[in-house]
Amino acid sequence: MKSLGLKNLSKTYYDLYEGSHHTALHDISLDIPAGEFVSVVGPSGCGKSTILNMVAGFIPHSGGEILVGGEPVKGPGPDRGVVFQSFALFPWKTVLDNVGFGPKMRGVPKAERDEIAREYLAMAGLSHAADRYPNELSGGMQQRVGVVRALANKPDVLLMDEPFASVDAQTRMTLQDELSRIWEERRPTVLFITHDVSEAVFLANRVVVLSKGHVLADVPVPIERPRVWDKLVEDDAFKELSNKILALVRSA
Amino acid sequence: MATRRLLDATIFVAPLLFLVVVWAIVVPVFQVNPQIFPSVPAVVQAGINSIIDGTLFLHVGASMGRVILGTVLAVLVAVPLGILMGISKGVSDFLTPLLRFFSVLAGIAWIPIATLWFGYGFGAIVFVIFNGVFFIVVYNTLLGVSTIPMSLRNAAASLGAGRWALFTEVLLPGALPNIATGIRTGLGFAWRGLIAAEMIATNVGLGYMLFVARDFYQTEVIVFGMIVIGVLWLLIDRLVLAPFERATIERWGLVR
Amino acid sequence: MNALLPLWSFWVRTSRQWPVLQTLAPFVPVVLLWQAVASWGPFPPAFFPAPMDVVRSFGTLMYKGILPEYLGDSVARLAAGVAVGVALGIPLGLLIGLNRRAYDTLWPVVLFFQAIGDIAWLPILIIWFGFGLTTMAFVIVYTVIFPVIFNTVLGVRSVKIELHRAAQSLGAPPWRILTEVVLPGALPNIVTGLRNGLGYGWRALIAAEMIVGTSGIGFMMFDARRAGSVTEIVLGMIVLGILWYIVDAWVLAPIERATGRRWGLTQ
Repeated sequence: MKSLGLKNLSKTYYDLYEGSHHTALHDISLDIPAGEFVSVVGPSGCGKSTILNMVAGFIPHSGGEILVGGEPVKGPGPDRGVVFQSFALFPWKTVLDNVGFGPKMRGVPKAERDEIAREYLAMAGLSHAADRYPNELSGGMQQRVGVVRALANKPDVLLMDEPFASVDAQTRMTLQDELSRIWEERRPTVLFITHDVSEAVFLANRVVVLSKGHVLADVPVPIERPRVWDKLVEDDAFKELSNKILALVRSA
Repeated sequence: MATRRLLDATIFVAPLLFLVVVWAIVVPVFQVNPQIFPSVPAVVQAGINSIIDGTLFLHVGASMGRVILGTVLAVLVAVPLGILMGISKGVSDFLTPLLRFFSVLAGIAWIPIATLWFGYGFGAIVFVIFNGVFFIVVYNTLLGVSTIPMSLRNAAASLGAGRWALFTEVLLPGALPNIATGIRTGLGFAWRGLIAAEMIATNVGLGYMLFVARDFYQTEVIVFGMIVIGVLWLLIDRLVLAPFERATIERWGLVR
Repeated sequence: MNALLPLWSFWVRTSRQWPVLQTLAPFVPVVLLWQAVASWGPFPPAFFPAPMDVVRSFGTLMYKGILPEYLGDSVARLAAGVAVGVALGIPLGLLIGLNRRAYDTLWPVVLFFQAIGDIAWLPILIIWFGFGLTTMAFVIVYTVIFPVIFNTVLGVRSVKIELHRAAQSLGAPPWRILTEVVLPGALPNIVTGLRNGLGYGWRALIAAEMIVGTSGIGFMMFDARRAGSVTEIVLGMIVLGILWYIVDAWVLAPIERATGRRWGLTQ
């Protein structure tokens, strides 16, 4: 796992219909040391998904630099694994083949990549689903496959774009618990985008609040690990911190 | 399991068999003029004759050969082209009216110019078939690629997929439902174009067999030929098109 | 590159206001390419006409009244054939879709006869009715009826059983359920069937006119082939293409979309 650095990142685009330039992000700088979990929150339209898409290389950035392990990056690549809100599993591939996709791109032979895939599926308790197709699984299971698929490719950083927004509330809490547990085990460098403040506080070491295209606040989360919903739901420190950050987001 | 399938097949065919029985009774009872409509035994005899003297295989072979060649060529060219065109939204939006226009013309309308360019015979007919399938498959492929969610392409890129891998692992499978529809539609138009073209532009093939028999009032040959055409299309549908669609689309849950 | 952005923006705005521009846009380079190949390419004009030749031919045929007459004949035949095909196809489709016994007896018959195809009937039709209008009418009706039946059946089956039951529990007799529930529910699919039927129908018309006809666009193209007049062949194809494109893209497709969307029946 490597560090992730955003230096003076900006995004301007040209609206063809209006015929004018429009700045979505101004001068965003963020340092995420290796193994740290950072969550970015903010109201709709503040640009948080844009940041993730730029870091992932899906859209070009207008200015500034993106550094992985100190080296600048451009365009998408296996060094930055992505978990998508819509799961983005390949419907024509089995779960096993989905998880083995990254290794397949690296030229790993079938037997070996199947083994890697099974190992990661077991870690998430999904061994029984290996030969199913994505449309046969529930939303929660599909997203777990999505997370496992990104991790199985051993990326340097992990980018997560509102990954639990498309599942129901119960499943969401289960998935958050599980992500927390996986993170404890593997300590990936994570950039996690969400609109749900309590989710951000639950999962992250730091919460960055974004407002209208610039950084409003960078709040550390000193709550002890391991974190489990059952324990934290009533925890005062947790509630206080969540409320404080929520107020910041509301004021944005 | 096999007996069940056989039973289902027999039940399915029953109404057609009933029609055959009605036919077998009506013709002799009403003394229908054989030059208007043939009797069942006459058609059977015509069929047997065409098998014995080899003309059936000659004509079916010619027709199927043209269809297979035209279709395979068209699909091999149309699918990669359609995918390339479909990758960029700007390009696919721009080209869509053009492709729709040519899809609309597909098949029979090309017969006069095909015979002008290639003369009468094999070349012109294969061209008509190629045309019928090509434009429709390109259009449908392009449509299919443009509906693949961007997140799937991004996911593949973030997992290290290069351009070729993106093509074979994401774009092609993702567009497959639309490609299948395109092939089915295009083949339907091409098949009709084939029969029509064979009636006016050549001297071998099922269309020709029917048209020539007309000159001699050989209704038993015509009716036999019509049955052969019907059976061939049903075979194409059940043995080629439907299994392809079942294996791909339905399994992957992509039916829309 | 950046200097082009305002121009592109102008195009986006204008073409959104006048969608017809977006339709015509890709044809401009095609026509230019066509002209280039005709002028400087290896093909003789008897083989590959130039755009201007086709336009001139259009002018002449319009002036002589031939083109409007042929076009009128073709369109009239198609309209009549489609009208009959739809009038027969929809009731049959409703019957097959709603009645289990009708389905079991008629479906295999429908499938088989559809597989034979319209064109294959021409030889025996010529024996029965000769080269003329009856033959052509039969072929068009035959072609149109099958997509209409198939799509009507599909549409009828797509109406959920709960809707039937709801109507029954509200006191509707079978006849009213048909008109108030089944028909509206099946309408999007019926419109699709109409659209497909027209697509097959005009192709059958052209084929029939080529093989059997004495007037119409199909006949014009076939006759031009016999006379070796390539310009008229191309003219015929373009007229057909434009006509059908307009009908399909600007009349039928919006109707199809509107019926589906209005009732939230399609995504």
